[in-house]
Amino acid sequence: MTEQLIMLGLILVKLLLVFGVILSMAAYLVLAERKILARMQLRYGPNRAGPGGMMQPMADLIKLLTKEDFVPAQADKWLFLLAPGLSALTALLTFAVIPFGPPLQIFGQTVPLVICDLNIGLLYFLGLSSLAVYGMALGGWASNSKYSLLGAIRGLSQLISYELAMGLSVVPVVMMARSFSLTEIVLAQQQIPFALLNPPAFLIFLISIVAESKRIPFDLPESENELVGGFHTEYSGMRFGLFFVGEYINMVILGSMLTVLFLGGWSGPWLPGVVWFIIKVLAICFFFIWVRGSMPRLRYDQLMNFGWKVLLPLALLNVLITGAVLLWIG
Amino acid sequence: MPTLTIDNQQVTVHDGATVFEAAEQLGIVIPHFCYHKALGAVGACRMCAVTVHAGIFKGLQMACLLKVEEGMVVTTGDPRSVEFRARVAEWQMLNHPHDCPVCDEGGECQLQEMTIAGGHGRRRYRGEKRTYNNQQLGPFIAQEMNRCIQCYRCVRTYRDYCGGRDFGVMGSRNRVFFGRFQAGPLESDFSGNIVDVCPTGVLTDKTYRFKSRHWDLQEAASVCPHCSLGCATLPGGRYRELQRVRSGINEQVNGCFICDRGRFGSSYVNHPDRPRQARLAEQPVTVVDALQQLAGQARELIETHGPEAVLLLGSSRATLETNWLLQRWAAELGCRPPLLAAHTPRHQAARVAAFDLADRLASLAEVRQADLLVLFAVDPLAEAPLLAVALRQAVRNGGRVLVYDPRPVELPCEFEHQSLTVLQIRNLLAEETVESTLLRELLDRAARPVLIGGGDLLGAGGLRHLQRLATKASSALRPCLVHPVLGGPNSFGSALLSPPEPGEDDLLTRLESGRVKMLVCLETDPLLEAPDGERFADTLTRLDELVVFDYLPTPLSVHATLFIPSTAPVEAAGSFINNEGRLQLFGRVIEPGLPIAVTGGGDHPPREFFTVTPGSDPQPAWQLLQQLLGGRADLQAVRQRMQVALPCLAGFAELQPGGPGLRAAAAVAPGRFEESLPEQPLGSLQLLVTPARYGSDLFSRYADKLAPRFSAAGIILNPQDAAERGLNAGERVILDTDAGSYRLPLTCHAGLAAGCALVENSAAFPHLVPGGELGFCQVSAEVAHD
Amino acid sequence: MPLLRDIKGSFQPFWVTLRNMFRKPVTVQYPEQRPELPERYRARLILTRDPDGAERCVACYLCSAACPVDCISLQAAEAEDGRRYAAWFRLNFARCIFCGLCTEACPTLAIQVTADFELAGRDPLKLVYEKEDLLVDHCGRQPDYNFYRQTGIGVTAPRGGNPGESPPVDVKDLLP
Repeated sequence: MTEQLIMLGLILVKLLLVFGVILSMAAYLVLAERKILARMQLRYGPNRAGPGGMMQPMADLIKLLTKEDFVPAQADKWLFLLAPGLSALTALLTFAVIPFGPPLQIFGQTVPLVICDLNIGLLYFLGLSSLAVYGMALGGWASNSKYSLLGAIRGLSQLISYELAMGLSVVPVVMMARSFSLTEIVLAQQQIPFALLNPPAFLIFLISIVAESKRIPFDLPESENELVGGFHTEYSGMRFGLFFVGEYINMVILGSMLTVLFLGGWSGPWLPGVVWFIIKVLAICFFFIWVRGSMPRLRYDQLMNFGWKVLLPLALLNVLITGAVLLWIG
Repeated sequence: MPTLTIDNQQVTVHDGATVFEAAEQLGIVIPHFCYHKALGAVGACRMCAVTVHAGIFKGLQMACLLKVEEGMVVTTGDPRSVEFRARVAEWQMLNHPHDCPVCDEGGECQLQEMTIAGGHGRRRYRGEKRTYNNQQLGPFIAQEMNRCIQCYRCVRTYRDYCGGRDFGVMGSRNRVFFGRFQAGPLESDFSGNIVDVCPTGVLTDKTYRFKSRHWDLQEAASVCPHCSLGCATLPGGRYRELQRVRSGINEQVNGCFICDRGRFGSSYVNHPDRPRQARLAEQPVTVVDALQQLAGQARELIETHGPEAVLLLGSSRATLETNWLLQRWAAELGCRPPLLAAHTPRHQAARVAAFDLADRLASLAEVRQADLLVLFAVDPLAEAPLLAVALRQAVRNGGRVLVYDPRPVELPCEFEHQSLTVLQIRNLLAEETVESTLLRELLDRAARPVLIGGGDLLGAGGLRHLQRLATKASSALRPCLVHPVLGGPNSFGSALLSPPEPGEDDLLTRLESGRVKMLVCLETDPLLEAPDGERFADTLTRLDELVVFDYLPTPLSVHATLFIPSTAPVEAAGSFINNEGRLQLFGRVIEPGLPIAVTGGGDHPPREFFTVTPGSDPQPAWQLLQQLLGGRADLQAVRQRMQVALPCLAGFAELQPGGPGLRAAAAVAPGRFEESLPEQPLGSLQLLVTPARYGSDLFSRYADKLAPRFSAAGIILNPQDAAERGLNAGERVILDTDAGSYRLPLTCHAGLAAGCALVENSAAFPHLVPGGELGFCQVSAEVAHD
Repeated sequence: MPLLRDIKGSFQPFWVTLRNMFRKPVTVQYPEQRPELPERYRARLILTRDPDGAERCVACYLCSAACPVDCISLQAAEAEDGRRYAAWFRLNFARCIFCGLCTEACPTLAIQVTADFELAGRDPLKLVYEKEDLLVDHCGRQPDYNFYRQTGIGVTAPRGGNPGESPPVDVKDLLP
């Protein structure tokens, strides 16, 4: 009984820790992105709120919370209110299955550093990432604005194009790790990360998660130059904030996924596993930001072409080759 | 019908057309100064040079003078003519000052346009510029002679076209000067037209001085409301103030010019005392509440006292739509059909014009082309000023003008005047005199005769006689047309909406019967606009409710128990029918509201934000009536319904403001009309009330810009009559009429028919209104007080 | 080799951005650090006076016509001596985009730009400048120009008394 209570307590502690870390990471990612982008453009970036602009996320939060919460007259009110929550929630839920460290020994118990080690964790991730797009699609639809709708439609078609390649690119990982459980996958990479074993799958997955996170060069659902703000054109205040936070949480989650699937998760020399994990995730986040600073937005037809005619065949081919190689090795 | 080629485009024009007109037909604008559509060509400015490649005269030619020949080939943009025009522009700019920023013409200046079009951009001439001293030309026209380019347009307009005599050209060689011999106000009643024709800023509108630039003005095609002619105008307003009126162009009516009354008499719109808020028993209310109050009370009165209890009164100042909707409202309320004019004799005369004369109405264009014009009891300068200009054009084209009028008529052209009393004119028309036979002979010999009758002095009976005369003088070869002069801008329209009914009684009889409890006056003030104002004033005390819709600060609007502000003609779209049955639309120029000049008190506008424009309560009367009727139709839908209800208005809904308009008249068989002329009491004089040239119609009376031209009150007698009564000119005398007695200074004029006494209805003497029944009066010396 | 070029083109920007990250930013830290403005900087507008000290503005409405955002409104009036001036002149800096077209349109060099760009405020009405706020006591950038001495109509000098003009002609003179 007490064991179960302690387990429950530990799970709660893990939940709160993860929740807090992820949210504050998302918040400071915003700041980091603004600062890094600014430096890439020979600017300083936000440096007024707090020392070196460190309080900027708080200032943003206060600003977003105090702004008018506006619902357009012709909008579908309930869907409109629901959509931002959906977007942030699905992003947060994904983290449940991500192992962020080696199992810990506390009070004589082995605590796995994952909230819930599902044996089909990978499928859970794929499922939730497909659900995440609903937040955007419903938000765009419910706003009853042409820009929002166009953004939502773009988001949906982009999702179909890239989910497929993404799904196919993790098939070799599953084949190599012989498990759907993410912990198993990490353990399978103790020696060599899959990124080195199977670079094509890594690259396809990397491109796909950039598309998945709707960031430059695949930020067509937003594309503020043509669609004002895309699916969140009509949103203001904290509802816009939820979309915004959702995007950065997504960045962390997808970074974690990449770490888990291809970069060997927490494994690494000298440092504790959790630190390695965070370092890898942050490096990927920096890469995301770097991409944003360096690349232009793709044109819509280029994006579709690339997804269907390049990534998908490549991913399929990769599955076949990996399968063949695995068979050959035995 | 020769065909020629201009700039590689072929065009066929009528015989005798010039190259300039042919180019205009193609939409090619040839730069020009001295040519003006109404004035014709003189070939003085040399600006319209074009190159003729095939034709009798080859080479550089003046397009305005060159008659079109078959097969001619002309270019307007070849280097030769372009270079020539550039040099002409440069040469015209030699003495022109560089003061465009402080010149009112800037922005609508033909010289600016032509200098740019001519390609002249840099001054090369280093000599001294010629300067002039300016003249003061009165309250309307400002002169700045330094800007003059000697195109002669002003003189051609003022003297040749409009017949003015006190403005001309002086000096020689490089000193040619346009002005009066001595400084002083311009005497012509058409002086404002020189502002329109001046291609640069020499002659500008003094009342509009420095007020706005052309590009800032809100303008819309409109119709002048000052008399029954309905001349086309282009009023311009800015900052909610009507700032000026320009002449519009309607070839069928005024041509290119208007009179000073129409041009400078528009400031009634911004009259400082104009009531802009609805009032119920001296307390301000909202328009919505006022309308509710009105509708409720009217219904209640009709229920308790019967259909006679509410009397609706339309007006010849109100638009056609307004009057028609007033009839609809009366039908809906269940009261008697509204009277559409307070002035019954004028209304009856207008009915004769609208119904009996419908098939032989002459437009002003036809007047200009007539070869014999006979005026019966019309003083054009007082009653319909632009008719005088039209008469002048007829005379310039070789026509002959005969005037039968008791008044000392002045016209800007040669004419033969017979001073006959009104009764004598009636006899003449009834063909009872020797003169009638002579007149018939003259009319029979004329190729394009037009009879012009003044509705005010002739009345309905006289106009009917005129119609008979015209019928007799018509032949199978050519009709004899009639041009009636009526009272208000929409007299014809009001008459057309109210066909004659037997046994109809007029406003005063109805009011004096005592059965009327509520009187609704729609944009009319019978105190000032109808005869027997005293009798009308007496009946007001018997009313329970006096409701007034108006946009002028009339005395009646002060008396009203319920006052509802309506918009002036320039503040809303609408339509008038002019004296010859021409239905013309006018557009909205400005929105109603207190001008910024008023709200800011001359300084900058107040630094406060309002959600509503101050003083913007007035609404178009038709809209107010629509609200009373509970309808939501827009003006276009109202017009659609009107043209279905009244076949004579066919095409109304398709009509646009500007353009020639539409003839709307309902020809019916002449009705029987009995009239007994009153006997002249022994020793009495026929009382003639004539409108003053300025300040008789309510629009010009409330136009402060016209105040310098208002005349003083006075009475005019023939010297013979004065001598018989022992009266001397300059004395104050007593005029005894049925309406009351007045003390007025006496003037003697031999041009006045003997046996008549003439008084002018004006701002100074509003008591007697022109156009009443034929009346008689006594004039006697003032009794000296011991 | 377009493919090679494309691949190269995809990696080059990453190098450029990375390199720039380690350079010194060019941003001017405004309130602490004052910007060095060019001489012809376009900011707050003023109404200047002519060398005689009279208002240069003749209220010709050209600035308000040239203004692409309609932030200038004014009313002309006539002074006793025939001088045309602005009875009121209102410039809404909340709307102004500092394009300077008004100064280019101004025929009398009255409206001019200054380098004073610190106009921000919390009350939009305080950004609405009236004539008395705009009018300055100097000639601005062109100290010599006096419109009324060039125009050819007598306001400052008697008629025909400006440079390049002959005295008024006697119109009743018939001599050749």
